[in-house]
Amino acid sequence: METLNFLLQGFDVATRPTNLLVALFGAFVGTIVGLLPGLGPINGVALLLPLAFALGLPPETALILLAAVYLGCEYGGRISAILLNVPGDAAAVMTTLDGYPLARQGKAGIALSLSAVSSFIGSMIATCGVVLFAPLLAKWAVAFGPAEYFVLMIFAIACLGGMVGDKPVKTLMAALIGLALATVGVDSTTGVYRFTFGSVSLSDGIQFVIVVIGFFSVSEVLLMLEQTHSGQQAVKASGRLLFNFKEFCFSFWTMVRSALAGFVIGVLPGAGATIASAMTYMSEKRLADASGKFGDGDLRGLAAPEAANNASACGSLIPMLTLGVPGSGTTAVMIGALTLYNITPGPLLFEQQPDVVWGLIASLFIGNVILLVMNIPLVGLFARMLSVPNWVLVPAITVISMVGVYAVHSTTFDLVLMVGLGVFGYILRKLDFPLSALILGFVLGELMEDNLRRALSISAGELGILWNSPISLGLWALTALMLGLPGLRWWRARRGAQLANA
Amino acid sequence: MYVRLFAASWLLFCACLAVIAWGFQAPFAYDPVGPRAYPLLLLSLMAAGSLWLLCKPGLLEQRLNQRAALRATLCVLTLLAYALLFEVLGFVISTALAAFALGLLFTGRLLPCAISAVLMGVLLYGLFDYLLDVPLPLGLFAAFVES
Repeated sequence: METLNFLLQGFDVATRPTNLLVALFGAFVGTIVGLLPGLGPINGVALLLPLAFALGLPPETALILLAAVYLGCEYGGRISAILLNVPGDAAAVMTTLDGYPLARQGKAGIALSLSAVSSFIGSMIATCGVVLFAPLLAKWAVAFGPAEYFVLMIFAIACLGGMVGDKPVKTLMAALIGLALATVGVDSTTGVYRFTFGSVSLSDGIQFVIVVIGFFSVSEVLLMLEQTHSGQQAVKASGRLLFNFKEFCFSFWTMVRSALAGFVIGVLPGAGATIASAMTYMSEKRLADASGKFGDGDLRGLAAPEAANNASACGSLIPMLTLGVPGSGTTAVMIGALTLYNITPGPLLFEQQPDVVWGLIASLFIGNVILLVMNIPLVGLFARMLSVPNWVLVPAITVISMVGVYAVHSTTFDLVLMVGLGVFGYILRKLDFPLSALILGFVLGELMEDNLRRALSISAGELGILWNSPISLGLWALTALMLGLPGLRWWRARRGAQLANA
Repeated sequence: MYVRLFAASWLLFCACLAVIAWGFQAPFAYDPVGPRAYPLLLLSLMAAGSLWLLCKPGLLEQRLNQRAALRATLCVLTLLAYALLFEVLGFVISTALAAFALGLLFTGRLLPCAISAVLMGVLLYGLFDYLLDVPLPLGLFAAFVES
């Protein structure tokens, strides 16, 4: 009952005219950013973050804006995936597998509308999950001390390494680079300058906005140089524009199953929408067996990843709100946004800032409805956005990035640093290091060091405090499991290969 | 190959940073850990990761393409020039120049690029400075708009 009251209070916040307007704007911008190939939710949130700050929006409004952009991106990614066979964001890779064949068969309208509904159902189920579980977890999370937090963050990083699978070492390296970047600046406990190289501009640490925009926008611009598909013709959406009842029933249970799975994966700190959509697609394919036409335009193959990626986007808000540990790269950016407002996400957020938390949750419901309503009739308009040529798009992205960084401190140094980090990010991406791990590391860096040192201060330097409570022991066990999985898979694959050879 | 190169240089970089980090000493001991241990821990973990990649770089399908590399270098130089000239020339001029150069680099035609670049400089300045209250440098224009 208490939850319901809070939720009503949240709707009160979310339905204020400014917040509704901001949600509408965010949903619109998010869809566009999501459908543009190369720009994903992290870019969208990163570009709008300085704007939200410069506009002087109150924290709950800023969060509503960012969450709407996040959800919008997950909706938008599917449009280019279906019409162009180019995923608009990383999570939409799986959507191309069945979405594009459907479009080629002249069913683009059906594919677009059905995937919009899948996205809607996915987010709705997951948002209900947030309402049910977030307050519980927040109550439970109060029992977390610094030692438990430290282990939890290690678990978050292990989730990245273990789940990405084929390149655990590179993922861990990327996370470590992020953690190391976070140590630049004055050490908050002792006041010692670390890695500042005598520069005043670095003494405050590397600003979060600079890291995000450098690593994601600037490196993206460099990557786009290599794209050759600009000017590719999108498949025309013709024929029936809406799915019929039979098609909906056919894929309904797929949506529900994928939404639940996506939600759980989203809640895991570190594992995000990309993994969720890949895993649900695979499991639906296995469930359907021979009856499916997966890969040649199966509606279930379209519904599964779309429901899952939206569900995991909502689910990843849970660890962010309750523990202050991001569940995905995008929520890592949102945590950065909250800290700009001097709000520390964590279990106490539910008691101290109920307006922020419940306003955000209520706005997820509203944003979803807005997106569904916006996406079905306006899909033609969005599809036209795909024909914006790169020679207009790229300069625009660059200029907005520059302004975003300049708005923080107004120094040339920051701009040059941004370009430098962008080039570094480009190199890392070319070498196949996942950058979302790096961002997660960067956000967790300061928290992790603080908690480690606080824990060791409590125990007067005794390392045992890190594994003395049942919570931290459990987390260590989960971490070991996550780290062990790729090794186990590798071992089984090798044994399989040996058996095949024998 | 490239992964090996990167891992080797990163290892070297970690070593340099470790030397610097060794000097982090707090004048008083505020906590049992101190400012030095954590960065050193990270650096040693990174070094271990680099060593792993040095031995087992894995497969990478990227090939360095000379033309692509040249274009990437040009793009970086443009961005760098933009960053450095941002305050000196002011937002409008530097943006127009950078947008023009980037447009050409992204295979735009001369005239459309020029038009879109100038428009971007002027319109975005208006949008950010007047509507959204983000202060942007005027640079060369400052003398004219003195108020």
